[in-house]
Amino acid sequence: MRPLGRLTVAVLGALALTACATTNVRSYVVRGMDVHQYRTYGWGLADEQATGDPRLDNNRFFQERIEAAVERNLNARGFEKTGAGESDLLIRYYASVEQLVNADGADLPYAACDGCRPFVFDSGTIVIDLIDARSRRLVWRGWAEGDIDGVVDHQAWMEKRVDDAVARILEKLPRSVS
Amino acid sequence: MPRLITLTIAAIGTLTFAGCATMNVSSHVERSLDIGRYHTYDWGPADALPAGDARLERDPFFQDHLRGEVEKAMARRGFEWSTDRAPDLLLHYHANITERIDIDRLDAQRGYCGENGCDVATVQYEAGTLVIDVIDARTNRLLWRGWAQSAVRGMLANQDTMARQINEAVARMFAEFPAPL
Repeated sequence: MRPLGRLTVAVLGALALTACATTNVRSYVVRGMDVHQYRTYGWGLADEQATGDPRLDNNRFFQERIEAAVERNLNARGFEKTGAGESDLLIRYYASVEQLVNADGADLPYAACDGCRPFVFDSGTIVIDLIDARSRRLVWRGWAEGDIDGVVDHQAWMEKRVDDAVARILEKLPRSVS
Repeated sequence: MPRLITLTIAAIGTLTFAGCATMNVSSHVERSLDIGRYHTYDWGPADALPAGDARLERDPFFQDHLRGEVEKAMARRGFEWSTDRAPDLLLHYHANITERIDIDRLDAQRGYCGENGCDVATVQYEAGTLVIDVIDARTNRLLWRGWAQSAVRGMLANQDTMARQINEAVARMFAEFPAPL
């Protein structure tokens, strides 16, 4: 263990504050792409990626939970799952975990920091990509990030957080105009 | 910005080590698993992920001691180590080391703060994660994954410490191993 010395929390704070406690959900619609011109989807672009947390790497209990939640939510939105090579859309996801610092006010002018307690926590991110199967271009991307301290160690909590995060990500899919 | 009080390195190290010295153990399991259907096991090849650290995975003492402890734990649960015929279960492990940071609690509470905010001491340490995977040899599906995490400080250079850490890790992991239905 070696001391890093003193980092000014203000530097790390900006990164950390966006991720504390609640799950933040965002999405990105590629300009000129309309999700509703697609009807079928498949898992076609699986590639094994390190998550940054050895407990989750190559962990099928985690991976299958994400995949099941994605399928459930896409089916509920009227998409249909087909075999690889037959779908309009390919689905891909990434999961990552990194340590962040919550400054808890320590980055504010000093009167505000009375009793503040900066802490380190694990921030988890799930990214879901919808890709045009023909052109292999990104159509839509949604992601969620939040504090997952202690979550991986409790399988039932992990499953609940995955279900919740995936549902909230896919809620961001544009609704059909018709 | 006023110059802030700096704790000695020793004090920071001691305080923080207290926070990360405890071992964290947990597991994931297939919900409907009836482990009673499985009787024999063997060691199998490990997957590429999670990535291992050569300081543990290529250390013969670590390998031998860990395998010995796991084999004893499996024997106590009635599993037979089988190398001569197709086993029911395959086991493999990953020993990962990750850089992590911690914040000095006492330092954070006192709040040495100025007009630009507070300076907070962060400490970097190496956290080890030992993952043991138990796989259905026929379907090649993961049935159970146990893990133990703790700071690896002191363990890499001292075999007694390493042996104690492995013993605790395996005993506590296998305490979570599913019982026959």
